[in-house]
Amino acid sequence: MADYVIEMLGISKYFPGIKANDNITLQLKRGEIHALLGENGAGKSTLMSILFGLYQPDEGVIKKDGKVVKINNPNDANDLRIGMVHQHFKLVECYSVLDNIILGVEPNVAGILQKQEARSKIMELSEKYGLQIDPDAIVENITVGMQQRVEILKMLYRDNDVLIFDEPTAVLTPQEITELMSIMKKLATEGKSILFISHKLAEIMTVADRCSVLRKGKYIGTVDIKDTTAEGLSTMMVGRKVNLKLEKKEATPGEVILDVNNLTVASNSSKKDAVKNVSFNVKRGEIVCIAGIEGNGQAELIQAITGLSKQKKGKLTLCDKDISHESIRYRSEHGMSHIPEDRHKHGLVLDYNLAQNIVLQRYREPEFSKFGFIKFDAVKKYAEKLIQKFDVRCGQGAETIVRSMSGGNQQKAIIAREIDKNPELLITVQPTRGLDVGAIEYIHKAILEQRDSGKAILLVSLELDEVMNLSDRILVMYEGELVGEFKSSEVDTETLGLYMTGAKRDNITKEATK
Amino acid sequence: MSAGLLILIKFTLLSGIVLMYVALGGCFSEHSGVINIALEGVMVIGGLFGILTVCCIPKNLPSFLIVTISILVAMISGMIYSSLLAFASINLKADQTIGGTALNILATAIALVVVKHYNSTITTNNAQSPKLNYDNSLFIFNVGPFTLNVFIILGIVLLVLSYFVLYKTRFGLHLRACGEHPQAADSVGINVYKMRWAGVLISGALAGIGGMAYIVPSVQEWNFEVGVGGMGFLALAVMIFGKWNPGYIFLGSLFFAVFKSLANIYDSTFLASFHLTKEIYNMMPFIASLVVLMFTSKNSKAPKAEGIPYDKGMR
Amino acid sequence: MKKGIAIISSIVCILVGLLFGLILLCIIDPADSISLGFSPLILSGLSTAFDPNWIAAGTNLMKLGQEIANAMPIIMTGLSVAFAFKMGLFNIGAAGQYTLGAFGALYCALVLKCPWYVCLLAATLLGAIWGMLPGLLKAYLNINEVISCIMLNWIGLYGVNTIMCSNDKMFNSSQAKAYQVGVVNKSALIPDSIFGWNISETFNYAATNTGIIFAVVIAIIILIVLNKTTFGYELKACGYNKDAAKYAGINDKRNIILAMVISGALAGFGAGLFYLSGTVQWNPLDSTALPAAGFDGITVALLGLVNPIGCIFSGLFISHISVGGTMMQQSIFPSEISQLITGLIVYLCAFSPIMQEKLTKLFEAHKKIKHDVNKEEK
Repeated sequence: MADYVIEMLGISKYFPGIKANDNITLQLKRGEIHALLGENGAGKSTLMSILFGLYQPDEGVIKKDGKVVKINNPNDANDLRIGMVHQHFKLVECYSVLDNIILGVEPNVAGILQKQEARSKIMELSEKYGLQIDPDAIVENITVGMQQRVEILKMLYRDNDVLIFDEPTAVLTPQEITELMSIMKKLATEGKSILFISHKLAEIMTVADRCSVLRKGKYIGTVDIKDTTAEGLSTMMVGRKVNLKLEKKEATPGEVILDVNNLTVASNSSKKDAVKNVSFNVKRGEIVCIAGIEGNGQAELIQAITGLSKQKKGKLTLCDKDISHESIRYRSEHGMSHIPEDRHKHGLVLDYNLAQNIVLQRYREPEFSKFGFIKFDAVKKYAEKLIQKFDVRCGQGAETIVRSMSGGNQQKAIIAREIDKNPELLITVQPTRGLDVGAIEYIHKAILEQRDSGKAILLVSLELDEVMNLSDRILVMYEGELVGEFKSSEVDTETLGLYMTGAKRDNITKEATK
Repeated sequence: MSAGLLILIKFTLLSGIVLMYVALGGCFSEHSGVINIALEGVMVIGGLFGILTVCCIPKNLPSFLIVTISILVAMISGMIYSSLLAFASINLKADQTIGGTALNILATAIALVVVKHYNSTITTNNAQSPKLNYDNSLFIFNVGPFTLNVFIILGIVLLVLSYFVLYKTRFGLHLRACGEHPQAADSVGINVYKMRWAGVLISGALAGIGGMAYIVPSVQEWNFEVGVGGMGFLALAVMIFGKWNPGYIFLGSLFFAVFKSLANIYDSTFLASFHLTKEIYNMMPFIASLVVLMFTSKNSKAPKAEGIPYDKGMR
Repeated sequence: MKKGIAIISSIVCILVGLLFGLILLCIIDPADSISLGFSPLILSGLSTAFDPNWIAAGTNLMKLGQEIANAMPIIMTGLSVAFAFKMGLFNIGAAGQYTLGAFGALYCALVLKCPWYVCLLAATLLGAIWGMLPGLLKAYLNINEVISCIMLNWIGLYGVNTIMCSNDKMFNSSQAKAYQVGVVNKSALIPDSIFGWNISETFNYAATNTGIIFAVVIAIIILIVLNKTTFGYELKACGYNKDAAKYAGINDKRNIILAMVISGALAGFGAGLFYLSGTVQWNPLDSTALPAAGFDGITVALLGLVNPIGCIFSGLFISHISVGGTMMQQSIFPSEISQLITGLIVYLCAFSPIMQEKLTKLFEAHKKIKHDVNKEEK
């Protein structure tokens, strides 16, 4: 019998422009819990999608029980007894727990469902592994924890013996996480092999036997958990940062521009609060960065500050004006600029041309319109000025349809628009996501220039490089709370990594941020 | 008064059964994830070919065969016509509403062309007539004081069958999963495209019979210029009102049918004393459905993925 | 380039539709399919325009006049559908708004004896109100505008017929139709002449009047509103990308309602133009059929690429084909074949986005080959 139940050898996967996986090797022993650790974009999801048959590798082979196999689609994976709990559950919400578990492999006689048979098998499994469920409950009414148990039972019902968990704890409460950990251990002792994708070090330290680390699509190494520490793993994950040195003067913070007071925001995806009682401020002439791993409430925080969604409670003050209940347009007209995270969804109307996008919030200003008519000449002239000033490359100048422009130039256009509004506060979320090095450098410089000219800047970034390079003050967000505050000159990436993964936390009070 | 009640029951059954057929059809299509706004047009096509069969079939065949064959033709023509919607919305991922609307416009035109051509072939003097004459006696029979028709019997059978198929079979479980969460269905090996085709075809079959059931039992001559007078759209409202569930759809169709029948009985009952015109009663079911929509929109039981073309690449 | 491909895709829709029509004619009667069927169908008014016999009788432009008269209302409903489309709304309720518009025009003309401009205004206003309802329902209760529009179509139709039949100033019970506007109140007829040019006389067709000029002017106004004003800018931004519009601070509820009001007004105006042209009479006995002009609007808008100027051309084309339908040998070919072709064209228009995508790829591939060839030659 082979030592390894699954072997992924020399796997590479290319997407246009990037190498998502570069010669990765992953070996899963029978009956072990194997953690897969890496930052956002390190290539974990791509690797698991390859194992589950959603993507085909460009290079490398996969072996199951020592034999080379080809996994073309999820059905093939099922046939090889590989199951996966996706980060976003694949459950039919209006179905009962039982129906969800048997979907696709229903016991039936001439097409008529035989649920009794299924029920006894499910109850047996549920008892054996301590997976408490109510088979007749409707999925939309049960807790997220139980939904996850349903997903696990789905795999067990299909007799899967390789179980992939894609960031299973992201949506769970602490109690549910503890329970999941014990379930995973139980599954492993019963002979199931588990792949556990996570970036929460504490969980990996508690539950995993071994851990493989990926960074920027490359395989860094595999370690035994008992031979390592959280610090050791953190270093492997973030690596030694190559600093793209930026000429950066010491910040000279002025008066408070944005003050966030006890802000609580509901989550976009679950019933929990995504932002819990968060307080901080941003001063003139400094860059404050919210660091953290994706999905810890940063998106909801920014939506509430910019007015895209309503906060549950808390007060927002911009330049001494209470803007807690003001419209998006009011905030925009009173000194707030926002470079959104998703430039295609929020930042641009892709079917409009560049000039039309440049005035997306400002078309009503007298400079650009008169008696309700847009002064297209003025708009065009203004757009051409910005194209020059910010070096936006586009085929047909101001009349280029934005959809046809490259990502970097689309982003430059947004940045040009937001900076040239001459705001007091510039909020920028993941401003360099998916861009090449040249564009990144340019955008970083532009943001620094804004700081030096006395703007307040709030940056949200998932890239530690960017966080360390740009910010003057770093706030770490973990599970909707601020768990650490640092001066960027006094902290290293390893420490940040510990805070971001919940391995360490400070008590941040309102006073401390002032 | 009791005579009035009897007429009310008669008309309620007549139009209730029609609404039920078509709403059940819509239910299958929407459970699979395709909004079938073309039900109105499918009814016209089903009714047209069903009745043409009645007209053309040799009269010396046993009456059972005539009834069965004509209903089968209505069903199959409905399926063929709705496959145009399936092809557009599932395979080509075209906008389901536009595709459905096109089929509604097309259906009346097809019906008129076919009927006029048919009339011009059997006689020469009424070539322009958009009306079909037929014998509906084979479809109707009396039980005590009630005049029943075969569509009522068939409808009850299909109602029970629909419930059974949707909730007790493997097929039904797969079908509904495709309308709720096609990605989930796909991840457990269900072919979403196939299930959606099945849903649309079943809806075509049911709406086809529904079209025939609307026209045949009540009159012996039908003017195809009026199509089916919005019954297909009302059936959509019945389906929403019935929460996409065959049981509630049955109740909903009776509820709407009462409104619909008021127009048929208002002059012979106490309603005559209100001095309202037929038009007002004709308006009732549509007002009722609008009101129902206003109260149910916040808490809709609609299949979550309906109207969204499924793209395998986008998971 | 993009516009060119879009126009090509529309032309393909038309050609395929006509091809099906031809096949159908051949099935009905292969011998006469061209001479008595397809030829009058596609030539329509043009066939008589140059016919010496008709020229001699001085009626050669009559059929063209009829085409123009019939095009007026459907250009307007087409604009109505197109305008809502720009906001991402599907106004299938143009038929209902059109019905209300017709009622408004006829009520002012027959009962209140108002001059034509007041009648037109009333038509527009009632259409706007009927369009506003689904807009309100969509904005505040999030009810799908398609379903509410369908219901409002029928409510509007039955409501209008109720009021009309019970009013003996409007309803001529001996004819079972509404009274003729031209007989009862000549001042309510839309003028025939503009700048001394009598359009009706030129075409020798009474219903062809200055209405067509109104329709064209309004199409141009809509074009300007959509492309030159802040309102049009907001509207299109909402239609293209709702999230980005919200990010930019645009109030989408207000825009949904406004878009539907304007859309309804356009449909109502179209009904006004048609029913104040003098020849047509409202027929309440058709009470179970909605006016076809409402649904033709969908065809016109889609075929016209949701562009106001495109709507003028597609409206004229649809009218051309339907007049052509009536010019076929009616004892052999039912005139509804033209409707069938229009129906097919709408169906094909639903594929238009996919077709455009494919065409673009085709062109790009072609360009690339040409480019490569050129390179090799060098």
